[in-house]
Amino acid sequence: MSEPSPEVYERGRGMDAHNLVMRELRGERDEQYDPSEPTRVWIDEDNTPGGIYQSLTIILNTGGCRWARAGGCTMCGYVAESVEGGRVSHEHLMAQIEHCLEHERSHADEVSPLVKIYTSGSFLDEREVGAETRQAIADTFADRERLVVESLPDFVKPARLDDLVFVGLEVDVAIGLETATDRIRRDCVNKYFNFADFEDACEIASEHGAGVKAYLLMKPPFITEAEAIDDMVRSIERCAEVSGCHTVSMNPCNVQRYTMVDELHFRGGYRPPWLWSVAEVLTQTADIDAIIVSDPVGHGSDRGPHNCGTCDTGIYEAIKAFNLDQDSAVFDRIECSCRHTWEVVCERETGYNQPLVH
Amino acid sequence: MTEFFEVLDRDGAARLGELRLDEPLQTPTTVDAVLEDAGSRWVNSRDEPEGSSATLTILPHRGMPTGTRGVVQEAFAPSIPDVTFPSAAVITPHLADDLGADAYVLSGLTGIDRDPRRLVEAITETRRAIPPDTALYAPGIAEPASVALLSYLGIDLFDTDRSVIAATQGRYLVSEGSIPVEELDELPCPCEVCRPRSVADLDVDALTQHNIAQLDAMLRLVRERIGDGRLRDYLEGQVRHQPWLTSAMRQLDQEWSYLEERTPVARQSAMTFTTDDALHRVEVVRFADRLTSRYRPQLDEHPLVLVPCSATKPYSQSPSHRHFREAIDFRGHIVSLTSPFGVVPDELELVYPAQHYDTAVTGHWSASEQAFVTDVLEAYLRRASYPRIIAHVPAEGYRSVIQEAVDRVGGFDLTFTVVDHPTDDDSLSHLSSALEGEWAYRRNRRYRAIVAAIADMQFGPGIGADLVSGAEIVGRYPRLRLRDRTDEQLLTLVPQYGQLAFTLAGARWLAAHDSVDHVVAIEGFVPHGSVLAPGVIDADPAIRVGDEVLVEGPAAFGVGRAAMYGDEMVESSRGIAVDVRHVQER
Repeated sequence: MSEPSPEVYERGRGMDAHNLVMRELRGERDEQYDPSEPTRVWIDEDNTPGGIYQSLTIILNTGGCRWARAGGCTMCGYVAESVEGGRVSHEHLMAQIEHCLEHERSHADEVSPLVKIYTSGSFLDEREVGAETRQAIADTFADRERLVVESLPDFVKPARLDDLVFVGLEVDVAIGLETATDRIRRDCVNKYFNFADFEDACEIASEHGAGVKAYLLMKPPFITEAEAIDDMVRSIERCAEVSGCHTVSMNPCNVQRYTMVDELHFRGGYRPPWLWSVAEVLTQTADIDAIIVSDPVGHGSDRGPHNCGTCDTGIYEAIKAFNLDQDSAVFDRIECSCRHTWEVVCERETGYNQPLVH
Repeated sequence: MTEFFEVLDRDGAARLGELRLDEPLQTPTTVDAVLEDAGSRWVNSRDEPEGSSATLTILPHRGMPTGTRGVVQEAFAPSIPDVTFPSAAVITPHLADDLGADAYVLSGLTGIDRDPRRLVEAITETRRAIPPDTALYAPGIAEPASVALLSYLGIDLFDTDRSVIAATQGRYLVSEGSIPVEELDELPCPCEVCRPRSVADLDVDALTQHNIAQLDAMLRLVRERIGDGRLRDYLEGQVRHQPWLTSAMRQLDQEWSYLEERTPVARQSAMTFTTDDALHRVEVVRFADRLTSRYRPQLDEHPLVLVPCSATKPYSQSPSHRHFREAIDFRGHIVSLTSPFGVVPDELELVYPAQHYDTAVTGHWSASEQAFVTDVLEAYLRRASYPRIIAHVPAEGYRSVIQEAVDRVGGFDLTFTVVDHPTDDDSLSHLSSALEGEWAYRRNRRYRAIVAAIADMQFGPGIGADLVSGAEIVGRYPRLRLRDRTDEQLLTLVPQYGQLAFTLAGARWLAAHDSVDHVVAIEGFVPHGSVLAPGVIDADPAIRVGDEVLVEGPAAFGVGRAAMYGDEMVESSRGIAVDVRHVQER
C-alpha cells in the first residue's frame, strides 16, 4: 500500500481544523427559528435560458445543511438560521410554502413563471426535504414554467430530478460549486467535493432533462483580490465548458455571522471583494457562451462587497443591468478615484499582507 | 542558518543590518524592489523556487490573515525548504520559530496596523521566537510616520505599499503622518518631485513619487539614529504626533525584558530627557534598579549630603559642585538628586547614563518625576546606614521629595542647609558648619569607593569590595587604575562611560570569583580582535551589549566587550559577538 502524500495529509488536517473552528463558531449562536415560516422570500426579476422572468425566490428552512453540521464552509452562516432539533416536518415545510405563496399574492400582480427554492443546504437531500414533500412542492408549482432548486452535487440523482421534471417544469439545479479550483474550494472554502463531482452532477442533470446553474463564490478567505479575480474568470470559463451548465451566478463573498469569515473580518484579517473586481470578472467573461449573473449581497457595506462608499450604488446598478442584458459596456461608464486604489491592491496584495486596504 | 543577513549595530531592539544580495542593502530599508514572491499555496501547490543571489525569495507560503486561529495555522503551515539562496519564510507570531531562513515575513500585520497593543505583542513575540541574526519584514504597513517606531520594535525590512496606496487616496505623507492633498496650500517638502511643483500639479504619479521619497528619507534618518544610538530620543518627540504611535512606544516600555535584553549598558552618545515617558526608558530604570540592588552604599559612615544635579556633566566638573565640594571637604558622602535617575552617588557620576543626559530644566518637577525620585531615594536610604542626612537643595521640588523619602524610611536626622540658592555664600557656609566636627576621609578612600561602586554596578553586589581589598589605586580621577600586590595592573576606569576595563590579570581575578558570571564559552580557537557568533558555545544570559565579558575556551582565555546580548551570541550564526581586548593562548 502506498503512503498518503504529505500534501494529502496536510489537506486532511486542514479540513479537520476548519471544521473544528466552524463548529465552535456555530455553537455560539442561540437564535431559534419558527419551522412554519421560511427563512426569507422575495420577488425579483431573473435572466434564464428562457428569457427574463419575474421570479419568486424562497429560502426554505429545512433544518440546514448536513455538511455544516460537521463544521462546513468557512463563509456560510445560513446554518445559523436553522431550527431546533435539525429536522423540519412535511407539514411545517408545506406551511412555509403556503406562506411564500401568500407573499407572492400580496406583493406581485401575477404569479411568477420562475420559482427558485434554496434551503441553505440541499433541496434534493432527502434528510432535508423528504420525497413526499418534494413531490408536493413540485405539484404546487406545476403551473409555473421554471423551477430552480439548490443542491450539493451528491444529491443530484435521477429519481429526485424526475419528480420535478415530470410535472412539466423546466428544472435547474443550483449547485454551490464556489470555484472550479479544487484547492481553493477545499482549503479556503472548506467544501469537500471536487470539480469532477460537479461535472458528474451536470451530466446526470442533462440526461434527466434538467439544467445546472453554478454558484461561484468570489474571494473566500485567505486569497488576495487578484487571485480572487483570476479564480473567478477561470472558474466561469470552466463551468461554461461543462455540458448542461447554462448559467453561472458569480457572487462576491459577504460576511455572515458565526463563520470563520466573520471572525477574520472582526479581527481585521478579511475584506470582502471590491465591486470593481466583480465588474472586472464580468467584463473579462462577457464573451463566454453562458448566462453570467452576479448578486452582490450586502453591496456597499463593510460586511459586503464594497468600493469607497461613493461609487458603490452606481456599480451595483450596473451589475443589475448587466445581469439582464449581459452587456459589459455598462461598466465603462463608471469612474471613481478609488479605482486607482483597487488597481494597486490587485497589483500588490499578497497572501501575507492581506487585506492591504480595508 | 543565516547567510545573507548580518546585524552590524544595535540600538535597543532596533538594528542596523546588511541584506547581502548581489547589491547589498543597508537595513532598515524597503525591499519591494528585490523581493521575489514564490507564491501562495492557498491557490496552487507551487514548485520550489530557483532563487537568485540578486533577490530575496519569499518561499512558497500560506499567508495567515489576522484572526486566523492557531489550530488552522498549524494545520496549513507549509514546510519550509532548506535552500542555498537568500530566502524569507512567511510566519505568524504563533508559527514563529527558527526555520532556517535569512528573513521572516510577518503575516497578518495589516489587520492590526495602528492597534498599538496587538502590534507590539505580535512583533515582540515573533522577534523572540526567530533567531536574532535574521531579518524581520513587516509587509504592507510602513508609512514615514511609523517606520521609526517599527524599527524600534525590531523590524528590519519594509515596503512601499502604503506609500503607493496613500497616493491613490490623495494623502500626502509627511514625517508625522499624512495631509489630504486638498488641504495643502503649498508643498512642504523639498524633494525633487515637490520642489518644482505647486499643489495643483501634484497628480497621482507625482504624489506616489513624493510618498516613496518621504519614506526613503525617514528610513535614512532611522539608520542614522540607530548608528548614533539615539533612535529613542527621536521617537520620544516624533510619536507625539499620533496617539497610536505614542501608545505603541509606551506599550513597548511595558515589554521590559524584551527591551532590556536588547539595550546596551553603555553608549558614547548623550540622551535627551524631555518627556515623562523618559522615566520608563530602560537606561533610567536599569540605573535605578542596579543602584538599589547591586550598588552598596559607600562611605555611609559619614553624613549623607544630598545636592542638586548640575547641567554640566560629570557633576564634579560643574561650578556649583566645585563649591559644594569645597564646603563639604571630604566630610560627607555626596549624592546628587536628579530627574530622571533619582539618585546618583558621587562614585557613579561617570557611569552611563549619569553623565550622558540632557534634560529640560524648569525648576519644577512633574508629579511623576517627583514620585520616581522619591521612590528611588527611599529604596536607596533603606540600604544605607548614614549617621545623619544633610540636604543641601533648593526649596522648590527637592525638599518635599527628600522629606517624604526620609519620613517613609524613618530614623534619620535631616538638616536643610540652603537659605536661598545652594551656591550663595550663606548656604555654603551653612553646609560647612553643618559638617563641623566630622572627620574627613582621604582622597584615596574616595577612589577605592569609586572603583568598588562601579564594579558592583557592573557585576553585582560585593564584587567591588572584594576587588579593591588588598589592591592599590593609582592615577588621578577620573583616570584611575587598580593594581594588585605584585604591581600588576588589573583594570582601568574608562571615564567616557564609567566602566571598568580589565586586563588579563584582572580577568583572571574575575574568573576566579564565584559571583562573576559574565562568561562567553567559545570553541577551541584563539580569537584575535573579535569572537564571531558561530564560535560561541554558550554565553551567560545576563550579558548585555557593552558589558565587560570573559572569553573562555579550550585554546584561549581573554577579556573584551560584548557586542551582542548573551542569548543573541548563542542563537546567532553570523556577526561579531565579542570585541576582544586581551587574549592569551592556553
